[in-house]
Amino acid sequence: MSMQMRTFILGMIGVPALLALVFLTVYGEQAGAIIARILPRVPMLLTGSADFSSLEGGFVANILISLWSMAIAIVTGAMLGTGLIARSAFVRLPSSLVMNLLRNSPWLVVLFAMLYLLPFEIEIFGFTVSLSPAVKAVIGLALPVTANIAEIFRGGVQAIPSGQWESASSLGYRRLQILRHVVIPQALPLMVPNLMTMYSMLFIGTSLVVVTGANDVLSVARTIIAVDGDAVATAIYIFVLLLFFLFCFPIAILTRRLEHRVGTSHP
Amino acid sequence: MNLDFSWLADPYYQYWLLRGLGTTILMSVLGLVLMMVIGIAGALIIHLRVPVLATWTTLFVEMFRNTPPLVQLFFLYFMLSEMGLTLTDPATGQRIPIFSGFTCAVLSLGLYNGALAIEIIRSGLLAVPSQTVEGARSLGYSRVQTFRYIELPIGLRLSMPAMTNNVVSLIKTSNQAALVAVADIMYTATQIMLENFRNLEVMIFVWVVYVALSSLAVVAMRYIDRLIRIPGYGAVA
Repeated sequence: MSMQMRTFILGMIGVPALLALVFLTVYGEQAGAIIARILPRVPMLLTGSADFSSLEGGFVANILISLWSMAIAIVTGAMLGTGLIARSAFVRLPSSLVMNLLRNSPWLVVLFAMLYLLPFEIEIFGFTVSLSPAVKAVIGLALPVTANIAEIFRGGVQAIPSGQWESASSLGYRRLQILRHVVIPQALPLMVPNLMTMYSMLFIGTSLVVVTGANDVLSVARTIIAVDGDAVATAIYIFVLLLFFLFCFPIAILTRRLEHRVGTSHP
Repeated sequence: MNLDFSWLADPYYQYWLLRGLGTTILMSVLGLVLMMVIGIAGALIIHLRVPVLATWTTLFVEMFRNTPPLVQLFFLYFMLSEMGLTLTDPATGQRIPIFSGFTCAVLSLGLYNGALAIEIIRSGLLAVPSQTVEGARSLGYSRVQTFRYIELPIGLRLSMPAMTNNVVSLIKTSNQAALVAVADIMYTATQIMLENFRNLEVMIFVWVVYVALSSLAVVAMRYIDRLIRIPGYGAVA
């Protein structure tokens, strides 16, 4: 059995057990009663509706927001990354400035800024598109992730030996053509583990969406606590921790396996 | 778009912001100390394969690495008050929790980034050349002595670049404390926004402050890195 597999089994059994232990220690004899109280709330936390009737809130919202942000950030990140390795300083320096600025700013501040910077609704070609809190959250999260992906992109491209560039250019390829047809296909396997780590971080970051007022799992949790009283707060948060762990941990293990295979394990 | 930063001239706001900045820095520094303590202790336990503790430490690392620090903070905040650790204020009869939002924030910062630090220090320890370790062992150093005098000093130096990232991440994460009403600079900013509605300007200001703090931390870490470098050892940067 491989090392990762052992860690995986240990984590998947151990961490829920640890959280259960914390739960029992905090509540003692009331544990049964508390479970009976929060059990009806589980669908609410997972999907934002009391009976799984709709899938637009709770933990599902976190997953959707993270997927959309990641999709946007991969496109913008690749563009910014191409700017980072551009030969012309007029493209490279501004790209590098934007990248550093976005990478060094706290996600919460960016989210807050987006909340106020983006209008309530925008008009495109006569259509009025309203920007819901979830859309603002997607944009706010995509910004810092863009910067990180640009950096991953740059690192991946630079890991490809320069001989590839030279031989392709001697065959008459232009720079962007080399990038698209020669370098990126080779760099992609190197970038995948880093991109997955980034997705994990992004998913963990979706917990901050609560400040934009999107109907994510933490907002739902806070609403439930406001209704059911502070007594259930610890239990609800243990459950939320467990949800995040069960989603992120397999990704982390998969990432480590991939890193092992590509041979770019972190120093 | 016209930005109006005239509110920055208000001495009252200046006082607020400075106090908030002070809280942020204090919180980050205390969090850093806790982070290093947890990081070194955890790395020691995993590296020396202490029988039962190593498994617990691995669980601890995996749990804190794979869950959002914000949820951890809320969880700590509510759990510690749920466990009834409160004092009764003799003057007002109010029940105040022993663990204030500030303490919880420091604890959660230390725990989350500490879990990351364990991994970072551990990989630093693994990067120490095996000849050096074997040399120390053959000179009669015990396993713990080797760790204390050979592996840890070199491993910590080797883990400096990754640790710099972790320190910056800690400073950036510290603003989540505003959500449990710790009066740090983020919280102060939201209060000011409620008063003067200059949302964008206040957010830009806070953004600049955090970028400045992070850059300062990077510079400080580079300086420390240069100070403690063993001459002729390791990569020349």
